Amino acid sequence: MSSAAPGGTTTEQGRSEYGVALFLAALGVLVIVQALLIPESRIARGPVGPATVPLVVGGLLVVVAGFLALDVFRGGRGEPEAGEDVELTGSSDWRTVLLLAVAFIANALLIESMGWWFSGAVLFWGAAFALGSRHYVRDALIAFALSFGSFYLFALGLGVVLPPGILDGIL
Amino acid sequence: MRTASVRKLTVGALAAGLVLTGCGTTADGGSASGGGADGPISGLRLLVPNSPGSGYDTTGRAVAQVMEDEELASGIEVFNLEGAGGTVGLQRLVNEDGNAKMLMQMGLGVVGAQFSNQSEATLDQTTPIAKLIEEAEAIVVPGDSPFQSIDDLVAAWKADPGGTPVGGASNPGGPDHLTPMLLAQETGVDPTEVNYVSYDGGGELLAGILGGDVAFAATGVGEVTEAAEAGDVRILAVTSEEAVEGVDAPTLTDEGIDLVFANWRGIVAAPGISDDEKQAFVDAVTEMHDSEAWQQVLEDQGWTDAFVVGDDFSSFLSEESDRVEQVMSELGLA
Amino acid sequence: MDAFTELIGGFGTALTPTNLLYAFIGVLLGTAIGVLPGIGPAMTVALLLPLTRGLDVTGALIMFAGIYYGGMYGGSTTSILLNTPGESASVVTAIEGNRMAKSGRAAQALATAAIGSFVAGTIATLLLALVAPTVADLAVEVSPADTFAIMVLAFIAVTSVLGSSRIRGLAALGIGLTIGLIGIDPTSGQQRFTFGIGELAEGIDVVVVAVGLFAVGESLWTAAHLRRKPIDVIPVGSPRMSRKDFRRSWKPWLRGTAIGFPFGAVPAGGAEIPTFLSYVTEKRLSEHPEEFGKGAIEGVAGPEATNNASAAGGLVPLLTLGIPTTATAAVMLAAIQSYGIEPGPQLFDNEPELVWGLIASLFIGNAVLLLLNLPLAPVWAKLLRIPRSYLYAGILFFSSLGAYAANANTFDLFLLLAIGALGFMMRRYGLPILPAIIGVILGPFAEQEMRQALQISNGDLGGLIDPMSVVVYAIVALILLWPLVRRFVPRKVVPSVLEEATHEIEEAHSHHGLTDSVSVSGTTEARRRFDRANDTEAGDG
Repeated sequence: MSSAAPGGTTTEQGRSEYGVALFLAALGVLVIVQALLIPESRIARGPVGPATVPLVVGGLLVVVAGFLALDVFRGGRGEPEAGEDVELTGSSDWRTVLLLAVAFIANALLIESMGWWFSGAVLFWGAAFALGSRHYVRDALIAFALSFGSFYLFALGLGVVLPPGILDGIL
Repeated sequence: MRTASVRKLTVGALAAGLVLTGCGTTADGGSASGGGADGPISGLRLLVPNSPGSGYDTTGRAVAQVMEDEELASGIEVFNLEGAGGTVGLQRLVNEDGNAKMLMQMGLGVVGAQFSNQSEATLDQTTPIAKLIEEAEAIVVPGDSPFQSIDDLVAAWKADPGGTPVGGASNPGGPDHLTPMLLAQETGVDPTEVNYVSYDGGGELLAGILGGDVAFAATGVGEVTEAAEAGDVRILAVTSEEAVEGVDAPTLTDEGIDLVFANWRGIVAAPGISDDEKQAFVDAVTEMHDSEAWQQVLEDQGWTDAFVVGDDFSSFLSEESDRVEQVMSELGLA
Repeated sequence: MDAFTELIGGFGTALTPTNLLYAFIGVLLGTAIGVLPGIGPAMTVALLLPLTRGLDVTGALIMFAGIYYGGMYGGSTTSILLNTPGESASVVTAIEGNRMAKSGRAAQALATAAIGSFVAGTIATLLLALVAPTVADLAVEVSPADTFAIMVLAFIAVTSVLGSSRIRGLAALGIGLTIGLIGIDPTSGQQRFTFGIGELAEGIDVVVVAVGLFAVGESLWTAAHLRRKPIDVIPVGSPRMSRKDFRRSWKPWLRGTAIGFPFGAVPAGGAEIPTFLSYVTEKRLSEHPEEFGKGAIEGVAGPEATNNASAAGGLVPLLTLGIPTTATAAVMLAAIQSYGIEPGPQLFDNEPELVWGLIASLFIGNAVLLLLNLPLAPVWAKLLRIPRSYLYAGILFFSSLGAYAANANTFDLFLLLAIGALGFMMRRYGLPILPAIIGVILGPFAEQEMRQALQISNGDLGGLIDPMSVVVYAIVALILLWPLVRRFVPRKVVPSVLEEATHEIEEAHSHHGLTDSVSVSGTTEARRRFDRANDTEAGDG
């Protein structure tokens, strides 16, 4: 269960592993506090009310956080997930992740105003760009083909209308 | 036989084609013709505050289809915006102040949800257009239950409300929950004493009744008619004003309990539209209701006509809101 | 009244060239729509319902059967290829299936899913024909207390999928349980952890959680560590299942059927618990347990068969009692009713031709599905040969499309990204994803069953005990105490399989002594089932 930390030095990862324990503990405390704020129910019967289960779950999180911290202290390290496309040597490529998130958020922000045909294409093009594709025109063509194609497929085939945005009335 | 099958195939293919073209996209959208004119209303959007395939969705799409077929409107776009028992959709409609191109499909569930979700947007901000259909609630007991009449049930319920669990297929605040609560109020049982068991849908509720888990249940008549015919459950009463066709059960009023309550669906428009615009919607919906196509829809879907329009619907809506709010606040839910 | 004679009569009704054509069209459309993101089998059937309007009853039902099976298989296809499960029942398929696809064995994963679905569907339909009336009577007797006992058992079983580090597995489970708590508590009607956000009132859709943790989380994680090599395609590998694949698949298919059918037949059973149980069972019995989590074919074959068997099992209460047990079954019920047919105890007597016609068409739909999709498996698999940048861009595109199309709310897109970030964090620190998903799905279900049982008994804790639940708890106790009991039993008498099975539990015990917390969390947790009909929530029956 303890494998050598790939990216970064061991101490560095060790410190961020404590962060996970801290996150779990904070989550547990949040759950417990919120559970205590739930007013007593006039509907539920018996000893198990709406707050009981959240209290148990919150407790579980806090206890687990403690054991995890202990495990890290003893030198245990989480094993980053491996995969076919994943290369664990070298540090995380935050620029790519950030670009992907930007493309994703752009889609969410633009979908209502500009329409899915545009926001979806932005998402695809942006994600492809972030992942290293540099065929700008080809990517754009594929992106728009996908977004228009899915728009018409949903609208004509299913009667589910994705937001047309500024092309309302034209599509 | 064979030719007949082939003919049916063609009809099927035709139907498929109709659906494909009929659903349309957003064509005809931009060209706005005023709401009050005689011609079809164009560019209308109908908000369904629930997912595709749900009850509101079925109703909303049927309304849109009939209005198109009857040329009362052209190019209606039905869109779904789900969430929080319909109050996410309600908020959206309320934000569209003065927009005479948007309608919302809604019903009793949204009335309850605006309280249980402490929604900022409320139905009294909207412009009520019409109530279309309703379904009576049934008070049912298992087939082998000792309760033969609503009086038997109420007597036992009064004696031991906690030990007489009542099942329903909606969360607290939904129609199956409000029905026993209103019944409790009317018959002198303290609503906070009522032991309500919430089931996840009509199927699980029916299993709960058949398995004898609950003493009785309140649910839509349609959910239990078949089981009642088979003798697996017994309908003690229905909550509508008049007896339900094909259901051998008295109304609560027949049994001397002054309670009329039903699950209903209707249509509201955005706030702040002009009287003319409202009247245009009322006229269009009235014409839709009077069409043969709508009557056919009612029959096909097994819906009970409950057409109430304009100001009458407005006052119905506010009465209904008050009634629901009162019960909900007593239970600490509003 | 011999069921076999009746069934042959049913085939007579269903097997005309026209009806075969309907079955074919149904499967084709069902698969095509089911493949679309965000569209699960229930919505597929609902959306395609209007297509059958012009047909006669038999033709329509046959087309349904095709759409039904096609929709389910379509969902599995995207789970395997893109790691985007469309409904909670195919979540488990995504785990091993997508790993297989990544290592160039997509065709085998798709094939074992197709054949497994066929085998399970066929056997389960046969069981449906033979035992439906008997099973239905027994199924109603299963009370919420019993279901809760079974949930406890499921949570105990879950300890074996906690991953290599149990403490991290438990952390993941806790995160999942917390997500499951969000929303309105169905028993009291009070909001929990919604922080006044309306969109959270109905809880977070399991599909959004699964797609967020699986597809978005994985895309972000991979992006951070993308292997940038010149040859950048997933190998297609052999297009067919090898002898070895068959040898490893046939037992899971049969076991999956055995697990899925009874769960489907029990009202409130659903398909999630049995698919998890099947996965756990296959992992324990497999000769290659080390491959689990890396693309073990048993992990696709078993859960897929289970899923289909439980779907067929779900028709038992649907036809004999008029009780739909899943969202898809509820839509089917509406469809059958639109022809003026009321499913219920008399259906088999009143409408024998129709019932047996439907059962026969289920067989046909199943067979057509196999014929259509087996040759297509290698074609689909080639889809993965596209460059990585397009593959992950496409996954993000379809994930967003699915999350948005299901509820038409931008909020879900932000939620998807947030959960994706959580998935990234979990991958970074070795928290396994599976326990989190299990927590989200089983947690709310378990809490609701327990609280239902307590409402029925008016708050008396004795309401959790009845004859059947006692039996289940006895089994739980036996599993937990087995290590103790074994000491008093002569070594030779112990059956080796049982010993193996309990070994893991024992291991769980020794590790940090935390198994207790697992069973405690089993007796816990929140609210809403994933597919809780929005209708009933919105009170819009």
